[in-house]
Amino acid sequence: MVDPLSVSNALLWLAVVALSGVVLALMRQIGVLHERIAPAGALLGREGPRPGEAAPVLEVEDWAGSKLLVGAADPDGAGTLLFFLSPSCPVCKTLLPVLPSLCAAEDRRVRLVLASDGPREEHEAFVREHGLERQPYVLSAALGLAFQVGRLPYAVLIDAEGRVRARGLVNTREHLESLFEARAQGVASVQEYRARERRVA
Amino acid sequence: MSAALAADPVVQAALHAAGALLFFSVAVHKLRDLPGFRAALAGYGLLPERALRPAAAAVPAAELAVGAGCLVPGAGPLAPLAAAGLLLLYSAAAALALARGRGAVDCGCGGPGGPRPLSGSLLARNAVLVALFGVCALPAAARPLMWLDALVATSLVAVLALLYAALDVALANAARLRESGGPAWSTR
Repeated sequence: MVDPLSVSNALLWLAVVALSGVVLALMRQIGVLHERIAPAGALLGREGPRPGEAAPVLEVEDWAGSKLLVGAADPDGAGTLLFFLSPSCPVCKTLLPVLPSLCAAEDRRVRLVLASDGPREEHEAFVREHGLERQPYVLSAALGLAFQVGRLPYAVLIDAEGRVRARGLVNTREHLESLFEARAQGVASVQEYRARERRVA
Repeated sequence: MSAALAADPVVQAALHAAGALLFFSVAVHKLRDLPGFRAALAGYGLLPERALRPAAAAVPAAELAVGAGCLVPGAGPLAPLAAAGLLLLYSAAAALALARGRGAVDCGCGGPGGPRPLSGSLLARNAVLVALFGVCALPAAARPLMWLDALVATSLVAVLALLYAALDVALANAARLRESGGPAWSTR
């Protein structure tokens, strides 16, 4: 007959081994998480004008019909945040309320320009629903082509001198903030900043 | 740990096996990336340039010898004492490098998963290992063995190995946390 205490002891040992394995797995998981939560910035592709280059200058019409010059040097010293969106893109809608507060929080003045394209009728309900009549809301396919916008929502930060400072695919508030942060740090993207940090370390 | 428990053949067998496993694994890690280990050694700033190459080869060789010595049955306390000596040597080197303000170098003692910078926790870990090897150096008592002893011995080895690996990863994680705790990227 097997002693019950021995059985209990054997089972407990097996449990301790299993639990130690779980502890190791959790530790490794924490390491993986450290890698994953590293700051991610707006996704900068190879398309369009690179950060640091002059932005294409275009004259466009806003929602009310008045002329608007995008990409030119601004005599008042205000930069421009070009936000490309579409009424059919759900992520764009979630970012809309973030934009004005983000621009207002900047030390340097930033003018917000919302850009889209397509027939005006498709946008009327969207503009009304989100109260965008007073924002510069531009319908221009040429603008999207000039910056080679492929995917939405896409944002371009242009400085007062008319140079592209940062741009990329933006999906979250953090991505948008990364554009301003990239300008403040003088880098093209957070990815470049991280790569530079790693080289130094 | 009471003397009787420390001298128990099961505890002794498990500690010897775990010690051998430890030294084999750290030696293999070093041999797989000798240039990396040489760079880590250079980071300590204790050895002259021309001593680095022989030292980088001698350390894993000594570790393999100690690991093998732990597995020889009835070999006496020589191998465990040599293991404790090696660990004390590493700790002394780390403490010296730390005292000179070289806290950021890789210890060259970890497995994969990023560098483990020199730190107080590393010294504490080594102290625990030295204590375990001290127990390992005690003479083993004899007693009749039963089926449960085999299970306890293998489980003890597995638990020690797993916990050591977990601690090792924790050290690497702590380094990562320190790295990203600073102003790596401010979003205001």
